[in-house]
Amino acid sequence: MLLPKFDFHEPATLTEACQIMAEYGTKARVIAGGTDLMVNMKRKLVSPEQLVSIGRIEELKKFDSTSNVLKLGSCFTVADIEASEVIGKKWSALCAAAGALGSPLIRNLATIGGNLASARPAADLPPPLMAYGARVVLKKKSGERVVSMDNFFRGGALTEIAPNEILSEIQIDAPPPYSGASYINLSSRSACDCNLVNIASFIALDGPGGTIKSARIVMGCVGPTHMRAPSAEKLLIGEKPTEAIFAKAAEAAMQDSSPRGFAESRASAEYKKDMVRVLTNRTLSAAYKEAMMQ
Amino acid sequence: MKSLIHMTINDKEYEVAVQPNQTLVDVLRYELRLTGTKKGCGTGDCGSCTVIMDGKPVNSCLVLAVQANGRKITTIEGLESEEGLHPVQKAFTEKGAIQCGFCSPGMILSSKSLLDRNPKPSEEEIRRAISGNLCRCTGYQKIVDAVKSVIE
Repeated sequence: MLLPKFDFHEPATLTEACQIMAEYGTKARVIAGGTDLMVNMKRKLVSPEQLVSIGRIEELKKFDSTSNVLKLGSCFTVADIEASEVIGKKWSALCAAAGALGSPLIRNLATIGGNLASARPAADLPPPLMAYGARVVLKKKSGERVVSMDNFFRGGALTEIAPNEILSEIQIDAPPPYSGASYINLSSRSACDCNLVNIASFIALDGPGGTIKSARIVMGCVGPTHMRAPSAEKLLIGEKPTEAIFAKAAEAAMQDSSPRGFAESRASAEYKKDMVRVLTNRTLSAAYKEAMMQ
Repeated sequence: MKSLIHMTINDKEYEVAVQPNQTLVDVLRYELRLTGTKKGCGTGDCGSCTVIMDGKPVNSCLVLAVQANGRKITTIEGLESEEGLHPVQKAFTEKGAIQCGFCSPGMILSSKSLLDRNPKPSEEEIRRAISGNLCRCTGYQKIVDAVKSVIE
């Protein structure tokens, strides 16, 4: 498979990279690990005139867990997320999602920023990031802005990232005590496969053995973008965490989802809805288990 | 326009003029005649293009040659030493883990990479480590057995 022709830029700093993006705008595409973009370019779905590699910019690989907010550079690899003890302990659902992505070979190249910027509804990292209430930093020549993951995906492979912006950092607050999260993805194969349905659930209790004070349920593959399950979340608030309430929430999540059942969707809409119910139930139970372990 | 890149491949220094849109696998195979690395799918799904880059196994079909500039690369050709075949290579040949041989370079590099990080992996860890390498011939069992046999 041949790649289209392009001019290649490899800026050493983020400032330089923003400069190039400001100059070329829509004619340029950012490449980091390339595990999504290279495939699209080989399939001639994307043919940028300018390719801007941000893979050597040191500040984009940062890992800052010193404060109450985890700050990951957008070029931090998925393999490194999977291997991180800190992330595994405090943000276990993100660790699980990283381990589910692609294959070990892909994970060594793929970046957290790329998994967000490629805006695939079946992507592994967005559900736990949204469940943890993460934010992204979008940087351009004239400044930067912080966008909540809830407002990041616009549908149809579009994100909040403007043509002259670069996704530079992902920020995740430390979860409160007595909270837990879980990520489960369903696919035909255990590696190198696109998800059929993937769900991340987060619940926070108001004390040990207390009631649920906040809940976030994020569903992938069942709509044009990753989506929350608002009616499921609503009915959990103020309730004691029981099997019965989780089952009720799972039914509600099923209603919140809107899979379209296209030929390319890899599964029928009915099956996907049913799996939303099953995986929501399982992730809520697992999130509760984690909340109780603290 | 071509640019000059430098790579250390199998402990040897290479200087190659490459186009921006040339992949690492193409430069290895066509420019450097290191044809042990294979081309299968071209999209990072089969793993036959596996090389070890800066200590990590990657799909070389997804790496632009220009992105490999200044990096240390090990291809299957780099595993044999003066003492002979690498233990993983030897195990593959002895345990029937090679049929057509097309997946073997990638399988061996992924396995070697695992054992470098984790000298005593479980069967599950072995299977997970080679989950990015597809084999159409063997059904994987003898490949797993070969890796197991290298564990002391």
